[in-house]
Amino acid sequence: MRALLWLASIIAASALAFALGGYATDVYRKMLVWIALALSYNFLFGVAGQIAFSQFAFAGVGAYGVVILSYKLGLPFGVALVGAIALCALLAFIVAVPSTRLEGFYLALATLAFAQLFLVVVNEGGELTGGTGGIAGYKLPEVFGIALRGPWYTVVLVLLVALTLHLLLRLERSSFGRACRAIKANPAVAAAMGIDVRRTKVITFTLTSTLAGLAGAAYAYVDNVINPPVFGLDNIFMLLFMIIVGGMGRPAGAIVGAVLLYLAPFVLEPIVGHAYLVLFGVLVVLAILFQPQGLIGLVDRLRPERRA
Amino acid sequence: MTNAPLIRVEGLTKRFGGLIAVEDLSFDVGSGEILALIGPNGAGKTTTFNLIAGVLSPSAGQIALDGRRIDGMPVHKIAGLGMMRTFQHNMPFAGMSLTDNVLIGSHRKLRASVLDILAGRAFVRDEEAQARQRASELIDFVGLDAYRDADVTTLSFGEGRLLEIARALAGSPRVILLDEPAAGLTAAETSRLSAMIRQIAADGVSVLLVEHDMHFLLPLAHRVVVLNFGRKIAEGTSRDIVRDPAVKEAYLGEAAGALREGAPDA
Repeated sequence: MRALLWLASIIAASALAFALGGYATDVYRKMLVWIALALSYNFLFGVAGQIAFSQFAFAGVGAYGVVILSYKLGLPFGVALVGAIALCALLAFIVAVPSTRLEGFYLALATLAFAQLFLVVVNEGGELTGGTGGIAGYKLPEVFGIALRGPWYTVVLVLLVALTLHLLLRLERSSFGRACRAIKANPAVAAAMGIDVRRTKVITFTLTSTLAGLAGAAYAYVDNVINPPVFGLDNIFMLLFMIIVGGMGRPAGAIVGAVLLYLAPFVLEPIVGHAYLVLFGVLVVLAILFQPQGLIGLVDRLRPERRA
Repeated sequence: MTNAPLIRVEGLTKRFGGLIAVEDLSFDVGSGEILALIGPNGAGKTTTFNLIAGVLSPSAGQIALDGRRIDGMPVHKIAGLGMMRTFQHNMPFAGMSLTDNVLIGSHRKLRASVLDILAGRAFVRDEEAQARQRASELIDFVGLDAYRDADVTTLSFGEGRLLEIARALAGSPRVILLDEPAAGLTAAETSRLSAMIRQIAADGVSVLLVEHDMHFLLPLAHRVVVLNFGRKIAEGTSRDIVRDPAVKEAYLGEAAGALREGAPDA
């Protein structure tokens, strides 16, 4: 029954890829990448309570990693993809190990530094990273003789979201997810119950950052262009807004928040111009003040008998 | 109660700067034994608890669990060896259901790694089902079965005390540290708690208890260690303790006379 629901959702989301065209396709694809990033960030921030600003930097490592390894260095695509993802995992681990040792905002500071460092590296990377202009002119190589182009690449993005959601739901509903919530509520008591707080934090950070890298690698072939500003700090705040407005700690909330806030500018910008950012700010403040459970919390209130 | 000491504390000392909170403290706790730690405020009871649980590391001395030194070990590792505790102030995990709170206690027994979970291996589900079954039984045992799915922040203070115990028991402890479990309970709740603690000890779990309520403690404890200014001033059965002149002087005072009649012949 549940498997059927998954299958139906994937087919429906894929079918949309074939129905859309032109600009709408581009919007849809980027929305899917945002959803994937919001889902993993929701686990890190919403479920596990870790405050980190490196989600887009790791997406950048995934994107630049796969393009540099396959296009610039000419490695086979499969090797490049695995290499880029492994690099994300390694870097995340290196950031997490020292910064989860200390309490409080240490991870926030370390990830902020990492995000800035990443931008410096790609901006100053010369020929290898393309500097401020980024890298363009590559395209997704054929894998096993199959070229995933047009709507079929959108299907890849749908599968990316499905995989991310599937893995994170599994994790959230397991003893590991429970341990993460306990650490968020009270790390000292969680430790007294036998939970290795640091290890759990390092695993959570490494895993969600690696998922961000995977989403970034997928993003690299949406427009076949990557450049530094996409992976800057502006977007991380957007991600934070999405989760707060949608409903912190809830995958459904992350999806609702990502869809809504990603699409909102397309509606709002023609009317209010860049002032839509102010509207977002107001929306976040209102959500925190009056609806801390986010939009998904409103849905719960309408259907009190169900709790996902 | 058996005689092999499960916990052995030897020469335990804790200094905070110039202040000596615990000095040269030694005692044993056997399997299935209920040992109470008493003393006036500031006598070093809570410090001793925190040393045993690993929250503090001793300045000198040793603590062994089943022959293995645990002083200086991280808190989660000590818990992992089967030493579970309750807190003096209720410390539920807010935002989680009662059942999930109790399940956190079972964490040390779960074998599933993150990779096992992500791969969806069958034993992960079995293990989780078993833990849930056990959590459900423990919620029945402490009498909170009406609140299984309740948000823990809605529990009363007394119910919160019981949750603390259920959560600690979920780890199938070998030793359970109870920090003032009867504080703030009604007389009826206190007598139910006594029965519960006797049952826990009868199942072979060592119980180490810090408590102020002598009416609750004296009939319950198999042995009592009395602290004053960080030093052990007496050790013995409840009967011995209430008759000990040094104890009367330091702590019990008037209460000793009142309790002498009620002390058990244990």
